[in-house]
Amino acid sequence: MKRFILAFIAAYIFIFFWGWLLNGVFLKDVYAQTPNLWRPQSEMMSLFHWIVIGQALIVFAFVMIYASGFSGGGVMAGIGLGVLLEIAAIGMRLGFYAVQPFPGKLIFYGSASGLIEMIIVGAIVGAIYKPAPARTSG
Amino acid sequence: MNWKKFFFAFIAAFGFMFLFGFLWYAKLMHGAHQEVPILWRTEADFGNHFSSLVFGHVVMAFFLTLLYARFVPAGGAGVCAMLGILVALIYSGADLITFAVQPLTAKILCGWIAGHLIQFTIAGAMIGAIYKTDSRTTT
Repeated sequence: MKRFILAFIAAYIFIFFWGWLLNGVFLKDVYAQTPNLWRPQSEMMSLFHWIVIGQALIVFAFVMIYASGFSGGGVMAGIGLGVLLEIAAIGMRLGFYAVQPFPGKLIFYGSASGLIEMIIVGAIVGAIYKPAPARTSG
Repeated sequence: MNWKKFFFAFIAAFGFMFLFGFLWYAKLMHGAHQEVPILWRTEADFGNHFSSLVFGHVVMAFFLTLLYARFVPAGGAGVCAMLGILVALIYSGADLITFAVQPLTAKILCGWIAGHLIQFTIAGAMIGAIYKTDSRTTT
């Protein structure tokens, strides 16, 4: 449980700062090309707690999946899980691209950065979380 | 891994997810989506991007099937449905973030979260049920 919490906190801190760096700094100009699709800055700030909760939910579910079925494999298993989940998410992103008028490069940058993000999240979780040793009787 | 069973599980997952997506998001939630028409492509523009929707579902179904097959090599509808709930939580987290940055209504947010929970739980159960047969025949 202690390692679960540590893995969750470490991955959360990473995902929070990565999200800020990517969306708040690097992709700022790309987002500005489609202002109609986004809330005004002040409105986003008033809903900021949903970003915090959403990121926490993503990290919590990731660590739960890792702890439930991948924890024997360490860092490589964590990276593998991150890659599988993110490529599936790229599929979802393509679905959104079909129905929302996002610029193609936003989908490309979002997918590439998402892959890097989940690889690092997987490595962090895989490095920190270790399954509890099997108890022996007697 | 039995690729024949994997292929059947993938086809079943793709078929279900695509059909569910059409019924839930395009039909049932059509009215809710139309409350913010500025967020969506026009009908003609959507038609031009339809291949992205199909390809996206293929990618999603394939890699989710791979995840389920690796997560529970022995299969089983119940265990894979549980994994489906956890996968749905990841997508629900992304929905919450989208809600904070895009002018979605609360109705759309709730519909998307409920849709993801139903979609991934059932898809997981289907994949697990099909994959269960695999473990019985190969061991």
